[in-house]
Amino acid sequence: MNNRSIVQLYITAQSFSPGPLPGPCLARKATATPRRACPSPALPLLILPRSPSNRGRPLPRNGGDVPSAVPRRLGTEWGWRGSHGCPLPRSKAEAEAIEKELLEDYRFGRQQLIEMWGHACAVAVTKAFPLPSLPRKQPTVLVVCGPAQNGAIGLVCARHLRVFDYEPTIFYPKRSLDPLYRDFTTQCEKMDIPFLSYLPTEVQLINDAYNAVVDAVLGAEAELGEGRGPCAGILATLKHVRIPIVSLDVPSGWDVEAGSSGGISPDVLVSLMAPKQCARRFLGRQHFVAGRFVPYDVQKKFELNPPDYPGTECVVALRAPQ
Amino acid sequence: MVQFRSSQPCQLPGSAADEQPQHCSALYNSPIVQPGAAARAVPRTKGDRDPAPRVPEPCAAFAHPAPIPLKPKAEAEAIEKELLEDYRFGRQQLIEMWGHACAVAVTKAFPLPSLPRKQPTVLVVCGPAQNGAIGLVCARHLRVFDYEPTIFYPKRSLDPLYRDFTTQCEKMDIPFLSYLPTEVQLINDAYNAVVDAVLGAEAELGEGRGPCAGILATLKHVRIPIVSLDVPSGWDVEAGSSGGISPDVLVSLMAPKQCARRFLGRQHFVAGRFVPYDVQKKFELNPPDYPGTECVVALRAPQ
Repeated sequence: MNNRSIVQLYITAQSFSPGPLPGPCLARKATATPRRACPSPALPLLILPRSPSNRGRPLPRNGGDVPSAVPRRLGTEWGWRGSHGCPLPRSKAEAEAIEKELLEDYRFGRQQLIEMWGHACAVAVTKAFPLPSLPRKQPTVLVVCGPAQNGAIGLVCARHLRVFDYEPTIFYPKRSLDPLYRDFTTQCEKMDIPFLSYLPTEVQLINDAYNAVVDAVLGAEAELGEGRGPCAGILATLKHVRIPIVSLDVPSGWDVEAGSSGGISPDVLVSLMAPKQCARRFLGRQHFVAGRFVPYDVQKKFELNPPDYPGTECVVALRAPQ
Repeated sequence: MVQFRSSQPCQLPGSAADEQPQHCSALYNSPIVQPGAAARAVPRTKGDRDPAPRVPEPCAAFAHPAPIPLKPKAEAEAIEKELLEDYRFGRQQLIEMWGHACAVAVTKAFPLPSLPRKQPTVLVVCGPAQNGAIGLVCARHLRVFDYEPTIFYPKRSLDPLYRDFTTQCEKMDIPFLSYLPTEVQLINDAYNAVVDAVLGAEAELGEGRGPCAGILATLKHVRIPIVSLDVPSGWDVEAGSSGGISPDVLVSLMAPKQCARRFLGRQHFVAGRFVPYDVQKKFELNPPDYPGTECVVALRAPQ
């Protein structure tokens, strides 16, 4: 955003009643606010946020790399990699650093982030598997949720799928004691979303009953080897399902950076904020990125280089559907 | 046989006996108003496999408007209480969803290419309470949607949740005005629209005459369109306006309030898609159909 242009608007606006200087300053900081030379004293003082991340940076904030004076292209579809908006895969440490910055510096709440991610994942599922295209009579989707944050994102995704007229069923074997995740669970239960008591090892049952599986078992925070621990049974079953799998952020059981070593093969991957390095090994049909809400300064700091999101969409496909 | 752990006994989905909970529109008493929406003569129940796609498709004609019940203040508070206490929605979660929906409504009411000014500027005026926090989230999403919001937030709340929302906006480089110019022409010249998030449904009668009076007096005279969130600020939630602001666009949260009866503006949106079906039934919200994955829908045809 070009803050200088906002000031320009004030300077050029005609003032008919030159009154006294601006009144008490309600600035965020007690220190002196930047005073700009303006012809009319009756113009309000703009308090521009001077957060530590952009202190010392020149205004306007666009250094010319992302043209914002030109109206953004609405409705433009993101195809294969263009000259800008080519997201680079992130390592696990970077992904954690981005999340930490959002939580601590930007004061996003975990509940807020999980809600946004879950909603974005559900929208991605509707794009990958539109209701009219589902093969089964009922628009059933199985959502398999792990014990950590990725599982909570799966719960919110299931709730939004319910709102979007899908019929999700949740398998959530290890309920977290975290009150936040328990609240997400309650929201799903009270939306009449059924919870499976166990995952059938007979894979054909899953193939017959559902149109797709949403894999929210393990995410980027999972340690290497977790895929061989308690979730091993679930992942072993998922490896053999024949219906499409949608993985949230990281295909469960994959190493965040190295990728798969004989693990599940999702058809659709929804990367949260930015693709992880293991996405290089993703061979499925569609790869979505859900990172629209990430503030511009974070994008620049971590060189996220996000693609263009059409209209008000919160997800965008990175790869053309095959 | 797989067993379900849910409140209702269900069989495996896809089996012959369809015992899935019926989230159906059978309760809708008449075709739903939606600009260009298809008129449905027969209420549609879930489980029907009519050949038409489940997502309603816009088409030319729509039937007579359906009565969307307008909620009194007590009911609106009861709905929110139920969501927070029984359904365990978090306040942060709800405000995020509402703010996002309001921003989407603003993009529908004022699409970027249609804005008269060179810069897509929007003034967002935020009050001290929850409505103001919704305005902050709305401003943040408008920034993401490539608008250029400017926030006027004179009375910062001490609530840590609202302070977090404020920080998120500040760190997105959204400018905050130090005061609202009383010279209305400045506002008319600088911005394309004003988002009024000063007072909401929780405001007491007479609050419009108190500290926010100056803001509302200025907003009353702006000539650019005003988008009010939930309740036009200064209006009584049930009786409506008595010489207050006249918004062009109203975005009702969860369900329209009774004062919406007096709304004479251009477009009326409802943002209530996330409300669980059981709450809709219990409070007879009779919501319209939302197209695709949209979180808002227009109730009145744009004039």
